[in-house]
Amino acid sequence: MGEGKYMEQDSECRNKIKGQLVDFQWKLGMAVSSDSCRSLRYPYVAVMLKVADHSGQVKSKSFEMTVPQFQNFYRQFKEIAAVIETV
Amino acid sequence: MLLDLSEEHKEHLAFLPRVDNAVVAEFGRIAVEFLRRGANPKIYEGAARKLSVSSDTVQRGVEGLTYLLTESSKLMISELDFQDSVFVLGFSEELNRLLLQLYLDNRKEIRTILSELAPDLPSYHSLEWRLDVQLASRSLRQQIKPAVTIKLHLNQNGDHTTQVLQTDPATLLHLVRQLEQALEEMKTSHCRRVVRNIK
Repeated sequence: MGEGKYMEQDSECRNKIKGQLVDFQWKLGMAVSSDSCRSLRYPYVAVMLKVADHSGQVKSKSFEMTVPQFQNFYRQFKEIAAVIETV
Repeated sequence: MLLDLSEEHKEHLAFLPRVDNAVVAEFGRIAVEFLRRGANPKIYEGAARKLSVSSDTVQRGVEGLTYLLTESSKLMISELDFQDSVFVLGFSEELNRLLLQLYLDNRKEIRTILSELAPDLPSYHSLEWRLDVQLASRSLRQQIKPAVTIKLHLNQNGDHTTQVLQTDPATLLHLVRQLEQALEEMKTSHCRRVVRNIK
């Protein structure tokens, strides 16, 4: 009976999820010039996420991170992975 | 072209001959100010007290006058047509002359204000660009792929929006060539003829 109750809670949680990650694309680039600065050497990570909402419609979201921002981003996921190991 | 004034409009304008012409001139000034900056109901109350009438009467009088001026300006009716349109109201010659003067004095400015009411598409404000070199992606490592990232700043109805786009240099060159071609069209004899005829 205990197990049955856990499974009920699990599917309820899934229905409340606002979006589901469908795709995670990334690229690494270097900005070399811009309208405000003609000589640059600026590395960045660009991420494009595809998220499906509960109706199935897929929306894209792109964003960019500097190298330190990306390192922080990566650290978060390492922490999540570490916590999942303990569950 | 004559203005077709509705019965309701004529009723509202009927207030004007009941006050001094100086007051009508003041109402005209208030009407144009309202077109410039939006209505201010407090002004109606002050005027109503001074004239010993209800504030609604003053409001309808001013609004009737405003509508008369905007419709005449919108259609750009001639002096003669304006005089004939106002003639049906049965006002004194002096009042008719005052109304005509109000129309002629304010027509240009009212038309400028009315032109701003047309629906607005997003328009160019400014542009930022960045030249990037893509070095790696999830699907391919060891790349050297040039790309141009553009942040387009747009204005629409006073709101500021931005759009970020990315393209490769070849497509950008094509875009520039297409825009240059569009500008060159303006110099063709056909376009010049049309523009000359509109002016």
